[in-house]
Amino acid sequence: MRAVGESLQRVDAIKKVTGQAQYVDDIIMPRMLYAQVKRSPYPHARILRIDTSKAEALPGVRSVITGDCYTKRCGLYLEDKNFLAVGTAKYRGEAVAAVAAETPEIADEAVELIEVEYEQLPAVTNAVEGMKPDAPLIHPDLHTYKVAPIFHPVPHTNISHHYKLRKGDVDKAFEACDVVTENTYYIPHVQHVPLEPHCAVAQYDLDGKVTVWGSIQSPYAVRQALSAAFDIPLNKLRVISPYVGGGFGAKAGTTLEGIIIPLARRNRGRPVKLNYSREDEFENSYVRQGLHCRIKTGINRDGKIQAVKNEFVWDGGAYTEYGVNITKAGGWASAGPYDIPNVWTDSYCVYTNHPVGGPYRGFGMCEIHFAIEQNIDEVALKIGMDPAQVRRINGLRPGGVTGTGEVMEVSGFHDCLEQVLEDIEYDKKPVDPSPTRKRGKGVAAGWKSPSQPTNAGSSAIIRMNEDGTFILMTSGQEIGQGSETALTQIAAETLDVDPALISCRFGDTDHTPYEWQTVASRTTYCAGNAIKLACEDLKNKILDLAQIKLGAYKRDLEFRDGFVAHKLYPDRKVPLSDFALGLSFPDGSGVGGPAIGVGCFTLENNLNVDHDTGMGSHPAAFWTIGCNGAEVEVDTQTGHIKVLKMVSCFDAGKVINPLTYTCQSEGAMVQSLGTALFEELKLKDGKVLNKSFVDYKIPTADDVPELVVKYVEHPEPTGPYGARGVGEPLMVPGAPAIANAVYQAIGVRFRRMPITPDDVLKALREQQENEKG
Amino acid sequence: MKAFEYYAPAALEEAFDLLDRFEAEGKLLNGGTDVVIQLREKLIAPKAVIDIKRIPGLRGIAYDPEHGLTIGACVTMNELGNEALVCTHYPTLAKAALSVGSKQVRNRATCAGNLINASPLADTATPLLAYGASVVAVSREGEREIPLDEFFVFVRKTSLRPGEIVTAVRVPAIPGANGVFTKISRRREVDLSTLCATVLKTGEGWRVAYGSVAPTPIRLRQTEALLDAQPLTEERITRAVELARSEISPISDVRASQEYRLEVAGVVLERSLRALM
Repeated sequence: MRAVGESLQRVDAIKKVTGQAQYVDDIIMPRMLYAQVKRSPYPHARILRIDTSKAEALPGVRSVITGDCYTKRCGLYLEDKNFLAVGTAKYRGEAVAAVAAETPEIADEAVELIEVEYEQLPAVTNAVEGMKPDAPLIHPDLHTYKVAPIFHPVPHTNISHHYKLRKGDVDKAFEACDVVTENTYYIPHVQHVPLEPHCAVAQYDLDGKVTVWGSIQSPYAVRQALSAAFDIPLNKLRVISPYVGGGFGAKAGTTLEGIIIPLARRNRGRPVKLNYSREDEFENSYVRQGLHCRIKTGINRDGKIQAVKNEFVWDGGAYTEYGVNITKAGGWASAGPYDIPNVWTDSYCVYTNHPVGGPYRGFGMCEIHFAIEQNIDEVALKIGMDPAQVRRINGLRPGGVTGTGEVMEVSGFHDCLEQVLEDIEYDKKPVDPSPTRKRGKGVAAGWKSPSQPTNAGSSAIIRMNEDGTFILMTSGQEIGQGSETALTQIAAETLDVDPALISCRFGDTDHTPYEWQTVASRTTYCAGNAIKLACEDLKNKILDLAQIKLGAYKRDLEFRDGFVAHKLYPDRKVPLSDFALGLSFPDGSGVGGPAIGVGCFTLENNLNVDHDTGMGSHPAAFWTIGCNGAEVEVDTQTGHIKVLKMVSCFDAGKVINPLTYTCQSEGAMVQSLGTALFEELKLKDGKVLNKSFVDYKIPTADDVPELVVKYVEHPEPTGPYGARGVGEPLMVPGAPAIANAVYQAIGVRFRRMPITPDDVLKALREQQENEKG
Repeated sequence: MKAFEYYAPAALEEAFDLLDRFEAEGKLLNGGTDVVIQLREKLIAPKAVIDIKRIPGLRGIAYDPEHGLTIGACVTMNELGNEALVCTHYPTLAKAALSVGSKQVRNRATCAGNLINASPLADTATPLLAYGASVVAVSREGEREIPLDEFFVFVRKTSLRPGEIVTAVRVPAIPGANGVFTKISRRREVDLSTLCATVLKTGEGWRVAYGSVAPTPIRLRQTEALLDAQPLTEERITRAVELARSEISPISDVRASQEYRLEVAGVVLERSLRALM
């Protein structure tokens, strides 16, 4: 292969390292207005009165809006959201009013002049409490909300989705098991902390055309949501997303775009910009949902897990239009990458008066695996077996059956596990450097499938220029993950041309073709498939013309290094550029027209699961499976944990670009390390206590351990060149691998992330007291 | 951020004039790593911001064995921490200075500002307290030197009087002094201290200073007295650790619990003493 499998340098590298790449905040337009937002100081409060008169009177203020201006609810899967609070404010920081002004400073000042009178309401600040019948209702009209048919809100409760998985007979299986355990875990809210905070500009033209420039992962999904919310026909709404400075899920849905559109509508012809601060990012964009997790496990002494019963309670925050799908994803992956005959899972999405939960790299998998993968270690120790052996025994093999009853045709589980065990030198017990510095090793596995609608669509267009170069058009977004490079490589491979001859364009709903979303680790797979089809379409059209030109059957011709060439007589070849505008004849006539290839992809036979049992024959496009290993050192006197080494091995199907794969894997390990040791949104009575980098810590370069990246390649039958998505799965087992290593080091099981020095010392004190007692 | 007038006086006299004119509504600006945040978060809303960085004579570091070290008010943390004289004669101070924030922050932040901000966890405060440093405050009435332990009054409160400008920090020379600076933080780089401490062994005895365990950075006088009394034995170390824990009054906050700080304060003392034995 000429392009796929090559470590091509990122095609966007020069623009990014020189600062020339354009992001939304770089957009400055004539007559631009600046927006600012008035936010609720209470986690739950009825809005009694909003007086905007003083703000409106301030010179330089153009418009002030409140929730009353736009009462229509919207949402991706469940229409429960207003961009500006209507009736009640449901989390601290929720937008209750917004202004557009001539300068950002005037906008700031105007916001201060808006007077809001509230009546505080009892708040739900714990999801488990929020499920109880006497809990205050955050969305009393939930039963009237429009919802996608695969989601099941429970009327007159705070439960916006109850996902059920029922496989086999868990109760009967537990009775027959040698050992039955039950463990609980808690995973707190964290934030994505993309380098670039959310930013958007909206302009309403005089003829009704609306353009939104945003830091947006999924321009088409955002276009759809905004169109529904503001009754704008899709042909009159253009969403443009230039480079995105990191998304990690936080920019998949709609956030601040819905605040500026009504302001732009009142100021036709003038662009309105809203830029979130880092503090906004923590409280007012999206956060990863919190999770309360209970796992009951039945295992026999031979190491075979017979039954698992899970209860997942997700702290969804004030709006769960997106969160309901995380609850579903967590539910259907709840058996982990294991072949377990009996599985029962209840996964609940619960409204709380917390910041809005949304997609975050892993889409529920990092959270549930922190529990699942520690639980595997716990049950292994209960039966006196090495945890790695329990993983070997239960791991999904080709032909194995998943939790939802799907047969795994391909599985690299065991290859990944053995590779990780080898790279972390699992059999070599680490040596403690001193009695107060203890070392341990741990491994964890993980899996993920794209949580996309079963009929999610992708399309691509490839255009040949007159000189034989190409413009590739997709709406698979470059959000820092390297898609522009990988997708270019797929096109170059299919056309058998130098990747440098292809320029990629994306992120403009008026010009680049439909793509459901850039989420779910699906871009290489879905957009990649569409691009491969587009390139094949172009090839097919050109070969039709080349038959005439070369006087040879199409079946004997091929694309080779920028030429159409005869397979048997390699010297008989014509440069591709000869066909760029169709084929011309000596008499001056032509046929064919300009060369454009079109590719449209929907995965066929991808089916919904059964409503009552959660079972299905092929609900997932594919599953990406892999493992992490970690070695840690714990200072038992200060409680500090230093991660010395992390190793990774995943079954990528086919690695399109080993260099960018390695970067993704390294980034994933570091991000998982952050959640394992540092990151937590500290919430008290609905208030985020640490909404800046002063007290919300993410890893620095100094915290990065030795990283070993490996992969195996069992091709995905439906993937482009065998590839499956890896971006999110790579992060999934990192945190539990660290937690398992900490257990081996000091013998303490931490059922909560992050594991802080404070927690370590407290646990060691308790351990000491227990030993004495 | 509320609009303010910005002044950059070229001489101390000019700065005094501005302070006279704006009184409590004038805010002195040095590196700005605290003041700008206070402005941005609307904790202060001064009428005038008076930048002292253009005043000549505030940028130098001077050392002689007799008078010790003089650190100009506008000397940055990076300048201080990387100065060879400081690294040689006051290594704990150099280490503390380089532990503040990030490299970018240290390019702006100053040692004098770190003290004037009077945070309980000021990183450079503990080595300076241990060395018996003082702050040089100048006003129209003249110059006075305020010993650091009298300079800190309470959380973010100093004994500076209205109209006074800090021009330097003076640190006595203590020949043969040997010390350990420790910073306990959630993350090793770019973090605030959960707890910080300097333990200094001088010819005469021990000096122990802690940050983030009381409303101000403090010296642990009783612990010092215990350590001074007799040679360091295992038993004395144990007693010193216990005494130190009783001498401090940390709180629980978003960074750590009171219990954690109490426990680790002892660990830091023990480790420092063993390193200096």
